[in-house]
Amino acid sequence: MHDLAVEGLKFIDLTWINIGFLFVVGFVGGLVSGFIGSGGAFVLTPAMMSLGVPAAVAVASNMCHKFPKAMVGAYKRFKYGQVDLKLGLVMAASATVGVQAGIKIQEMILEKWGEAGSNLYVSLSFVAVLVIVGGYVFYDAWNTSKSSAGDQVSSLALRLQKINLPPMIHFKTANLTISLWFTVPVGFATGLLAATIAVGGFVGVPGMIYVVGASGLISSATELVIAFIMGFGGSVKWAIHGMVDIRLTLIILAGSLLGVQLGAIGTTYVKEHMIKVVMGTIMIIVAVSRGLAVPKYLEELGLVSLAKSTISILDLASFLIMCAALAIGALIILGSMWKNKPAAEPSALPVEEVYERV
Amino acid sequence: MALGSTKKKPIGKTAIFGAVTAILYAAVFAKADMVLQLFTRGGLYAALPIASVFVFSFAHGAFASNLWSVLGIEAVMKQPAKRPTTPAPRPAQRPRPRLRLSL
Repeated sequence: MHDLAVEGLKFIDLTWINIGFLFVVGFVGGLVSGFIGSGGAFVLTPAMMSLGVPAAVAVASNMCHKFPKAMVGAYKRFKYGQVDLKLGLVMAASATVGVQAGIKIQEMILEKWGEAGSNLYVSLSFVAVLVIVGGYVFYDAWNTSKSSAGDQVSSLALRLQKINLPPMIHFKTANLTISLWFTVPVGFATGLLAATIAVGGFVGVPGMIYVVGASGLISSATELVIAFIMGFGGSVKWAIHGMVDIRLTLIILAGSLLGVQLGAIGTTYVKEHMIKVVMGTIMIIVAVSRGLAVPKYLEELGLVSLAKSTISILDLASFLIMCAALAIGALIILGSMWKNKPAAEPSALPVEEVYERV
Repeated sequence: MALGSTKKKPIGKTAIFGAVTAILYAAVFAKADMVLQLFTRGGLYAALPIASVFVFSFAHGAFASNLWSVLGIEAVMKQPAKRPTTPAPRPAQRPRPRLRLSL
């Protein structure tokens, strides 16, 4: 079967600069994903499009690298005892329904207001969700870092856990029992956001922390399971339509598999609130980036009038700020890993020194 | 970053998985045009890119894992801290033992 949609597509010629660029972005995206459970995808798709890759191929190739990366990250963090598989499966099941709902909403908007309307909806969703959720995550991380009490379960989650609404599910690794009816909306919202802005984890991880009551460490690790399941389904769908440029996928994967494992290792070095710090920081910066894209879509809809040069400057600034979000997230991760690096084991001390102590 | 670890570094495994990964990448990029044409046919050919990323993930993932170990960057194994959720049930009160004087 040869999909007719593929015939019109142009697969780009690769240069060493393109390869290097995709490898580096893949590595940084993988590092952030391994640490906070998501991220990277929001930069990779526009990054590929900036190289001339058609939008559909960019989304498909990105998704096809995302699920094996999430699989490797989830496996690594499972070994560290951070993944709640049952929570991941429950969330992924409801997220799948959320994705379908998200696609339907997108189709309705596209039909009514065209491509500019759809882009405006995506950008506004980005800004609204990221400012509200990201702002709260950052505020919470800031408070946790200032207090000596450490990471606490949110009062909302504690209240929900006390409501006995069958079926009640016990999540062993997350060490909590909560009604299925409170996890389903979180999963649904994750899927809805994944279908809208391609980064469901920006709602999934905070949802698991503040609504379900799992820790930041468990939530970010469990998000990788959700990303794997959803990414796998999406990739199969794109591959059936022949949209996956395997060269791009494999180049990004080369960098991201190195990054995702480093990020996963990083979670064992740092204090738990660092996951929230990185996530909140990235979300707020991305919100600024998407905010800069809004005037362009307003102009396309004829709601405001702007000079072409202004739009291109805003476009460039938006893309650069998005790259900066990822880079700053990666720098915070590497910096905190370096700061909290484990000290040398006593057995590794030079022999003379050991004798002296005895 | 786990400095000075006395654990044996998996240099051999890193080299083997590194070589396998390099061969896999060389195989795809040596015939990139043909591979791309075959992998984008759609339909049942969708199995090709999906299977490929699994194979690459296994080889390259194992290489990356061993590479970080060789470079001395290994996880600090610790149990995630258990956070207080609901107060643990208190044990039922038992009568305190009393001293009896039997005459």
